[in-house]
Amino acid sequence: MEELNRGGFTFDLCSRNTLLEKTGLKMPGFLKTGTTIVGVVYKDGVVLGADTRATEGPIVADKNCEKIHYIADNIYCCGAGTAADTEMTTALISSKLKLHKLSTGKEPRVVTALTMLKQMLFKYQGHVSAALILGGIDINGPSLHTIYPHGSTDQLPYVTMGSGSLAAMAVFEAKYKTDMTRDEAIQLVAEAISSGVFNDLGSGSNVDVTVIAKEGVTVLRNYLTPNERKFRGPEYIFPIGTTPVLSKLVAPLSSKVIIEDVVMS
Amino acid sequence: MDLKLSPFPTLEKQMPIEHGRFEAYVDNGGTVLAVGGPDYCVIAGDTRMSDGGYGIQTRKYTKIFQLTDKCVLATSGMQADTLALQKRLKTMLSHYQKEHGKPMSTPAIAQFLSNTLYYKRFFPYYTFNIVAGIDEKGEGCAWTYDAVGSHERVKYASQGSGNQLVIPLLDNQVAKFNQQIIAGGNVTSQQAVSFVKDAITSAGERDIYTGDYADIVVVDKDGVHWEKFELKLD
Amino acid sequence: MFLTRSEYDRHVNTFSPEGRLFQVEYALEAIKLGSTTIGIQCAEGVVLAVEKRLTSPLLEPSSIQKVVEIDSHLICALSGLTADSRTIIDHARVETQNHRFNYDEPMTVESTVQSICDLALRFGENRKGEEKMSRPFGVALLIAGVDEKGAQLYYSDPSGTYTQFHAKAIGAGSEGAQQTLQEKYSKSMTLDECQALALTTLKQVMEEAVTTSNVELAKITTKDGKYKIYSKEELEVIVSTL
Repeated sequence: MEELNRGGFTFDLCSRNTLLEKTGLKMPGFLKTGTTIVGVVYKDGVVLGADTRATEGPIVADKNCEKIHYIADNIYCCGAGTAADTEMTTALISSKLKLHKLSTGKEPRVVTALTMLKQMLFKYQGHVSAALILGGIDINGPSLHTIYPHGSTDQLPYVTMGSGSLAAMAVFEAKYKTDMTRDEAIQLVAEAISSGVFNDLGSGSNVDVTVIAKEGVTVLRNYLTPNERKFRGPEYIFPIGTTPVLSKLVAPLSSKVIIEDVVMS
Repeated sequence: MDLKLSPFPTLEKQMPIEHGRFEAYVDNGGTVLAVGGPDYCVIAGDTRMSDGGYGIQTRKYTKIFQLTDKCVLATSGMQADTLALQKRLKTMLSHYQKEHGKPMSTPAIAQFLSNTLYYKRFFPYYTFNIVAGIDEKGEGCAWTYDAVGSHERVKYASQGSGNQLVIPLLDNQVAKFNQQIIAGGNVTSQQAVSFVKDAITSAGERDIYTGDYADIVVVDKDGVHWEKFELKLD
Repeated sequence: MFLTRSEYDRHVNTFSPEGRLFQVEYALEAIKLGSTTIGIQCAEGVVLAVEKRLTSPLLEPSSIQKVVEIDSHLICALSGLTADSRTIIDHARVETQNHRFNYDEPMTVESTVQSICDLALRFGENRKGEEKMSRPFGVALLIAGVDEKGAQLYYSDPSGTYTQFHAKAIGAGSEGAQQTLQEKYSKSMTLDECQALALTTLKQVMEEAVTTSNVELAKITTKDGKYKIYSKEELEVIVSTL
């Protein structure tokens, strides 16, 4: 009994699962956002960017998914890793932060969201695979953070994450400047995401951009769509009757249903 | 006090340190397919070559290799093995030409490739091949293989990372599986080219290892005709 | 003749000062002792006719076989040291089967003849895993076959040379027979006419009368690429018309 009351987490099931996998058990495949996500701080705010490809192994599962999640009116968060983990983690922290705002009556701060996220991820010891870029603006001005699945965090003026992070960072390292204008920042973010889209097979399709400034947030969903289908062949026409009817059975519904009068008491 | 010496640690008890082991094989991805017609054959292959993970090594690696003016070889799998196989076939074809005074026919090539692959049964070429072209009667023909030489003559074929995406399309549009009414007569080579382009474009939409460009090759009585075709670059 | 050839005929690969390989020439002589064999080719196919020497009335004629199959589209008739032909035929059969295994197609007539000649030239040569051949073969062949070029007739001899012919006679009666063939042959002949010419020519040069047991007759037809060695009964019909 004492053992049970000790509190904290046990990861017995995780070690059980790895053991089972060794004996040949196949775990269900998860939707991964093998991703490019980036963020940049500019003069008066933060610009976040993401690609829109979701993969399941080598197959593109979603060609236009959303990876920039809402946390609060002044805070957004890009997610890479297992899609379910990034979505649930950001949604959970979003509602916790809303409750926090309601009870304190103060605008949420970026560091609050950051602390909540890192504490939750640390608690799960990396088993919740969410790699996040948290960006927002509060009384301390614009700020940008990365959070790794194990709970470690960073604060930097420009960041990238996901499988396309190297491709995107290459662009940032070449072109980042301090105190960029809003347009310059959007342009740079779009370029960094494009670099991931074209050079990383885990990233693809469109470029999403979200700008968080003091004046408000601008969600530029599908800011760039550089990967439209280039060719479509002739239409495939199947005349009625193409599929053979092997057998036909018409059963009147009355034969299957018993109608009874129910006496109400 | 009784002082006991602990047994001296022996070397054999230590587990060997695992370094990055040499991997003989890598799958460089890509999709190839072929459709045989009454007097032509259309072969397509994308030109993306990946590192087996999320990286692109080149966007312009042609997976189709012309063997004779009636026959091409389309290969997916490992690029190094593909090149070795192509080189071997090329020399053996020239050898045959000199020995027998005629180019090897497409069915002969098909059989010869099978033997070449089986010869390396226990250290195979990591290649997945389609031999396609026209036979001695001038009819379009195709053969598919596994890595160790099992082969079959077919009307159409596909191999590689996008195989599973393309096969149902071919089953439906070329073999006309489970269709009572089959509209249209003989498919012209232009129609086949258009269909094949659509098929490989679709593979490029959903398979991350298929993309960049495609070679569309038509083999008919006049020879082998090449066309470059654009796919998506993401 | 043998007295004049001194020491230059001791080794198979030794040239005489005049540039001759005597052992090869002797082998060619051996063929002239062999039974007469005739081959005639036309557009329809090729006919092979061979004399069987029945040296004793007690000899069983069917035990001598002078026309043999190499592959389903290739036959060959021989003259000279019959035993030597075993090696050649075995070799040719392996080559044609290998070709089918490798390329899923029949081997061409010329390629087969070439591979026979490659073997014929290997005398006195040391090869890994092979028995050394001490002397040239003492046998000449008439090879008949069909491929995409049509029906063809080839002659190959112990020197490793091969030549294509429309009509060719080899063996003891070859000189007379070749003369007759040259006079009577025309390219427009039918296969039946070729057959008749082959047998009448053979009849001319044979010492004994032609019977169903002392000749062997075979044909290969362009149309289906198949060969046929005549049975005694079938031969009877043809011989009776001579």
